[in-house]
Amino acid sequence: MKPWIPAIALAATLTSHLAMAETPQDAALKAMTWDEVVATAKGGTVNMFMWGGADNINTYVSKTIGDILKSDYGITLNRVALTDTVEAVNIVLGEKEAGVLENGAVDLIWINGENFRTMKEAGLAFCGYTDVLPNNALVNWDNPAIANDFGVPVDGCEVPWSRAQFAFAHDAARTPAPPMSIPDLIAWIDANPGQFTYPAPPDFNGSVFVRHVFYHAAGGADALLGPFDQAKFDDISAKTWALLNELEPYLWREGQTYPTTVVQLNDLFANGEVALTFNYEPAQFGIAVQNGLYAETTRSFGLNDGTIGNTNYTVIPFNSPNKAAAMVLQNLLLSAEAQYEKARPEVWGAEPAIEIDRVSDEVQAKFASIPAHPSVVPAAVLAKNALPELQSDWISAIEQGWIAQVGN
Amino acid sequence: MLMLAPVLIVLGGLCLGGLVVALFRSLGVQILTGTGTPSLEAYRSVLGQPEFLRSLGFSLYVALTATILSTVIAVWAALLLRQRFAGRGALAFLFQLTLTLPHLIGAIGILYLLSQSGLVARLVYSVGLIDQPSQFPALVYDRFGIGIILQYIWKEVPFIALILLAQMQTLGEDYESVARSLGASRWQSLRHVLFPMILPGVLGASVLVFAFVFGAYEVPLILGPNMPATLPVLAYRKFTDVDLAGRAEAMALAVIIGAISALLVALYVWSVRRQGHPA
Repeated sequence: MKPWIPAIALAATLTSHLAMAETPQDAALKAMTWDEVVATAKGGTVNMFMWGGADNINTYVSKTIGDILKSDYGITLNRVALTDTVEAVNIVLGEKEAGVLENGAVDLIWINGENFRTMKEAGLAFCGYTDVLPNNALVNWDNPAIANDFGVPVDGCEVPWSRAQFAFAHDAARTPAPPMSIPDLIAWIDANPGQFTYPAPPDFNGSVFVRHVFYHAAGGADALLGPFDQAKFDDISAKTWALLNELEPYLWREGQTYPTTVVQLNDLFANGEVALTFNYEPAQFGIAVQNGLYAETTRSFGLNDGTIGNTNYTVIPFNSPNKAAAMVLQNLLLSAEAQYEKARPEVWGAEPAIEIDRVSDEVQAKFASIPAHPSVVPAAVLAKNALPELQSDWISAIEQGWIAQVGN
Repeated sequence: MLMLAPVLIVLGGLCLGGLVVALFRSLGVQILTGTGTPSLEAYRSVLGQPEFLRSLGFSLYVALTATILSTVIAVWAALLLRQRFAGRGALAFLFQLTLTLPHLIGAIGILYLLSQSGLVARLVYSVGLIDQPSQFPALVYDRFGIGIILQYIWKEVPFIALILLAQMQTLGEDYESVARSLGASRWQSLRHVLFPMILPGVLGASVLVFAFVFGAYEVPLILGPNMPATLPVLAYRKFTDVDLAGRAEAMALAVIIGAISALLVALYVWSVRRQGHPA
């Protein structure tokens, strides 16, 4: 356990009510044209703090992006590897408590979820500048899964970088017409007893599946955004547990047990014990087919009523001394070329955070040339029906409720 | 004394250190930063959850069943392996081979073998006894923990048997020969001569097995049902919960697992000793 997490949470609640006074430099930066920002940024250094556990990602940032930043903008990129993003948040928090309000050590953090919430609530994020970035126009801010970072409105405090979205998979040879929505799925399970199950929450993927049913019971995700609401939760969760308990006799092993992990569900699917599986990273389906685990006829799909997606972002701390340079880097990361490079399976294989149809025809053609695995549903298809993630209080309550009411 | 220092550092530093940190965190105190006020909140919360009692019952059932079955089979196997017969060498080799395989490998092997779409199910299917996977009896992910218990029997029988074999070798066959020459039957010489002498070994080995199985995490995770989960699996779930309060509960569970293990082992040793040395 990381001893500083509760400390951060405590400090976050303590400081959340102190409004941050904007410095004159920040206000001036936001008023600049993009050319002025680039001129200001020249010669600067960006200290980018990010999880450093994957060599291909590190190379992409340090080499591919770092080289362009140096040659085109005269900015030096200093990547600082972390084992956990909360470490960077802790540095910024410590600086704020120590009164370091302008000369912080961190210029950019790769972030999402809990850590972003902590930064936003504690006033640690530089906000309200994203419109200045030219490439911000490539982002579809109407997508609730981009405009909300695990249920916390982004409000111009961070810039999207990559996306992930939940998808289902079936064997087209065996199940030619899979259910395409949660109500369809429920009817399908009744008609095909023993052919479906889901990993028991708190398994990450199982928990996401249960949230889909929860959204269905709530009549959509919109009512669930924002802070946890006990009355709302009690009402919707009662409906959700009733739905899931009615389904139980029609699940694999009559619902007497559930797979503990998504790996078990994948095995059941690979062995033909169940007809459907799912994953937050649809690229996994293609890998499983390549490895001979799944049939060649495996196909994946999203739901007509939407599947849950999340986005990861970069955020500039309030006390970064190199905000202009960090903004140039954010803009570069968001550029069509950089997003294309990142999407190539041999580089990283991360789903772009931009709308492909908003970029030049030339880059669109490049995106189209990325070899697509027939078993992997294209991200653009999934993105048409995307649902947002919820704040962690909701997620925890749903998981605990499932364990008490369904999985017992 | 100085020669003991490296061992003491490892035992004291790692084992005891870990226990102390877990104990403090279960009480809500961050030992590294010294923050937090001690409270029994995590224990109160854990003990108040119905899933705790179910997990405790399941853990005790799995650990006891696996230990008893392993011990009985191991004693029988050791007696068998002590004799001379064709193929004894090969059998003894097989026994030692199992010891070198990690539990994880064994668990995955059991999964491939006994799941409803495993090797055995496929064989049974190929001879037409079943039509689809769900007709094969549920031996893994089942609420009786059959898969878990089978895995531990597979792994622990050789462990206990080899300890006993070594012990029997040191004892030799002289005592039994004497008993037989004095008119004891084969059974009598086993029951009244050999068993009392190997009892400490049986006891020691089975207590080790019990404590290990009761605290083990990976095999129940792979082969066990989702609900009830064994206590260590439950503890890990709490530890990885998005709710940070779950961390303290996980530590409380870990401390409870340790305490129950220690208590049961003490009780077991005490009761068997009492039977072994009638007043």
